[in-house]
Amino acid sequence: MTTTDSPNALCFGEELPASGAPCFVQIEGHGLTITFGSESGKEAQETVPFSAFAVSAGGLDHDHLVLKWGEGLLARTLYLKHPDLIRAFREAAPDHLSQPFEQAAERVRQVRHRHRVMWASVGGSILAVVLGLWFGADLLVEMAVSRIPVEWEQKLGEAAYKDFLSHQDVMKEGPAVKAVEEMTQRLAEQIPNNPYKFQVTVVKSDVVNAFALPGGYVVVFTGLMKKADSGEEVAGVLGHELNHVLQRHGMERIVKNLGIMAVVAIIVGDQQGLIGLMRQVGVELLTLKFDRAQEMEADLTGLQLVYRAKIDPKGMITFFQKLSEKDEGRLEWLSTHPMSSVRADRLKAELAALPRRSLEPFTFQWSEVQGALGVSPVAVP
Amino acid sequence: MKSEILYPGAFPMVRVELASGEHIKAESGAMVGSSPTVDVESKMEGGFLGALSRKLLTGEKFFFQTLRASRGPGEVLLAPTVPGEIVILELDGVNEYMVQKDGFLAGAEGINIESKMQNLSRGLLGGEGFFILKIGGKGMLVLNSFGAVHKIELKPDQEYIVDNSHLVAWSATTSYNIEKAASGWVASFTSGEGLVCRFRGPGIVYIQSRNPGSFGAWIRQFIPVSE
Repeated sequence: MTTTDSPNALCFGEELPASGAPCFVQIEGHGLTITFGSESGKEAQETVPFSAFAVSAGGLDHDHLVLKWGEGLLARTLYLKHPDLIRAFREAAPDHLSQPFEQAAERVRQVRHRHRVMWASVGGSILAVVLGLWFGADLLVEMAVSRIPVEWEQKLGEAAYKDFLSHQDVMKEGPAVKAVEEMTQRLAEQIPNNPYKFQVTVVKSDVVNAFALPGGYVVVFTGLMKKADSGEEVAGVLGHELNHVLQRHGMERIVKNLGIMAVVAIIVGDQQGLIGLMRQVGVELLTLKFDRAQEMEADLTGLQLVYRAKIDPKGMITFFQKLSEKDEGRLEWLSTHPMSSVRADRLKAELAALPRRSLEPFTFQWSEVQGALGVSPVAVP
Repeated sequence: MKSEILYPGAFPMVRVELASGEHIKAESGAMVGSSPTVDVESKMEGGFLGALSRKLLTGEKFFFQTLRASRGPGEVLLAPTVPGEIVILELDGVNEYMVQKDGFLAGAEGINIESKMQNLSRGLLGGEGFFILKIGGKGMLVLNSFGAVHKIELKPDQEYIVDNSHLVAWSATTSYNIEKAASGWVASFTSGEGLVCRFRGPGIVYIQSRNPGSFGAWIRQFIPVSE
């Protein structure tokens, strides 16, 4: 053994440094030979027989083999880290040490197993919370939403509404606006205990779309009105959108997304995330997409509303059919309102179940409304 | 490589003398000044994935800077971001230290740095996060702290209790458990200590005399809220 052997273990003891004295350990037939290098170049060598050792596991991750021997001032503790060294020790150690050695190894395995189980259970519960929120949250969300005052909802909706309209070309007057106002009034009259004051705005845009924001703010694009062949068709879409408001679908979406994001923020622990969260809500409001269950609900209640208002419910159905037939890729209302043909079929079945009822026509002529929007009267059948 | 701590106390700086061709790794942004013979390179220690995991997991900088005396001998001056003491350790190749993520300032060429995941209770409650740096190898290691550095030497099986957010570095031969500071949960938190780490020797534990988290909370009350 020479000084060129680099140390492979740390030895601790009363008069040795607290960080441990680096030493070179060599395993021999009868025990260990431990060589301490010193700064002056002199070496101290100690041979300890296997019989003197007490074996255990130690260190921060229980990955060190700890050998203890001696008593009092001469008590020594040796920490072996290198796997090869530990393996060599295991092979060379006589029988009386192999039992405590295996016990120590078993304890290390137990500790590691416990850590793995703990990690797995924490990971599992995080996953369970996320999945639970994702799938089973509807009830919870409804409960939470029912506690939010309508005034809050209106403030939230109004802010998003104003923000949206500030970038849009709003149609302030004309036959189209009057027609939409009449439809809204007819529909709103049929809503018992209506806490909302509906505000419907016509926006000049060729996109075939209409949407509702929480609090009763509805936007109809002129593209949709041009596409419709009768006032009843537009009224059908309005009935659908008003019911999104009445059922508080927008709030449900926001609460659901907020909940998921809050859980994520708790797990990730990002405190600045809250500001981002608020921003996300704003974005969410303008890109509100309703899920299928909500669409279905708005369809059915919308149909009933239109029916109660003595507006021909067939308009709603024919408009859905029209959307499902023609140039689907360009219709935005379709992308947020999927499967129009299926929905039209279901509405037909629903309508068939309702008793016939006398209808009251609108006071406006649809052809005049469309004419004011620039649609040539020839296109109207 | 020779090193010296200048202005010991709250605002120290390290001067490292490099022989021609020698280099030192430092936390990115740590260089204050250098001789013209020293080149600054930025290097992703441990490869791209190693650097990425270090950045994502420990919040350490993605790049370390390498300061190399490529055109003859020279010196570099290094300083940490926060006010606080600097300690220089000489690693012997056997000793390994766990270092909390803000503790590393610089290391000689022979120093290896890896990020390491702690177990659940230590990660969740220990105050250093789930990931810490494990630093081994041979050569000079420079650590910095928030406040002064206090060294605690533990003999085999000797125990010592440290508030969890005061840790800077500790030897791999020590082990620790997270405990409540007082015997009851309420008393633990009303005493202001909350959780503590019970260290068991042998080995060395370096602690800092100030708690960065508490200082942050204290200073936050003077910052006007903008949003």
